[in-house]
Amino acid sequence: MQANTTSEANYDLLTLSGEVDLHYSPQLRESILGSLKAGKPLLVDMGQINYIDSSGIASLVEGFQAAKSAKLGYGLLNVSGPAMQVLTLTRLDKIFAIYTSADQFAATLPA
Amino acid sequence: MTKIKKLLEFQFPARADQLCQVRERLRETLRACSKSEQMVNYVLLAVGEACMNIIQHAYKDEPGDIILEVEKHGGNMVVFRLTDFAQHKTRGEEMRSRPLDEIRPGGLGCHIINEVMDEVQLIECDSDCRNVLQMKKRLRTPRD
Repeated sequence: MQANTTSEANYDLLTLSGEVDLHYSPQLRESILGSLKAGKPLLVDMGQINYIDSSGIASLVEGFQAAKSAKLGYGLLNVSGPAMQVLTLTRLDKIFAIYTSADQFAATLPA
Repeated sequence: MTKIKKLLEFQFPARADQLCQVRERLRETLRACSKSEQMVNYVLLAVGEACMNIIQHAYKDEPGDIILEVEKHGGNMVVFRLTDFAQHKTRGEEMRSRPLDEIRPGGLGCHIINEVMDEVQLIECDSDCRNVLQMKKRLRTPRD
């Protein structure tokens, strides 16, 4: 897995690629919570994810809960086919805010 | 009588850093059995979840080994067996899914395994300290 966080105007963009499993999920958790603890809304780009297991999903859920508590925007961008298979299987596709463009997410944030 | 063909068998250390290599070997085997990349992904996920359960809950992150065996039974049934030698004996109730309407991290592995696989069975082998998890997946059609 590769994880790269960039600062956009009013949110952080976390771009993931590769395979997210038990070996890499602690790194994903750290990246997600790092942005949220800094008070930044977070958009997670999952377009280049070709595998994610329940440990990776747990990191995403932890981010969802942390963002909700802190009243920060949080969403998933361009979820790849394999990642969507897992979200659907666990019915989390109905819970996460999923976007097809970063502009859509940015439009949900306070000006 | 059902024809059984051994497709894969290997032993690996029960560590998170091994999972990628396990998936790589299993992916190759599954692609030879199914043309459906979606089915391959689902099965990779379920077997990965089962390995993860052994690492975290059976060995509790202590050193140990796992044996993965894959067999084809007849034209369309693939059987996966994961054997560990952990002291902790996994019980049937530990393989149950949690309610999905509880939105919290963790606890989804058993749900995934049970959703993907057609049969999941814990085989107790107390006499030689082995735990065997057997999972069966029927391919939709022989040419799926």
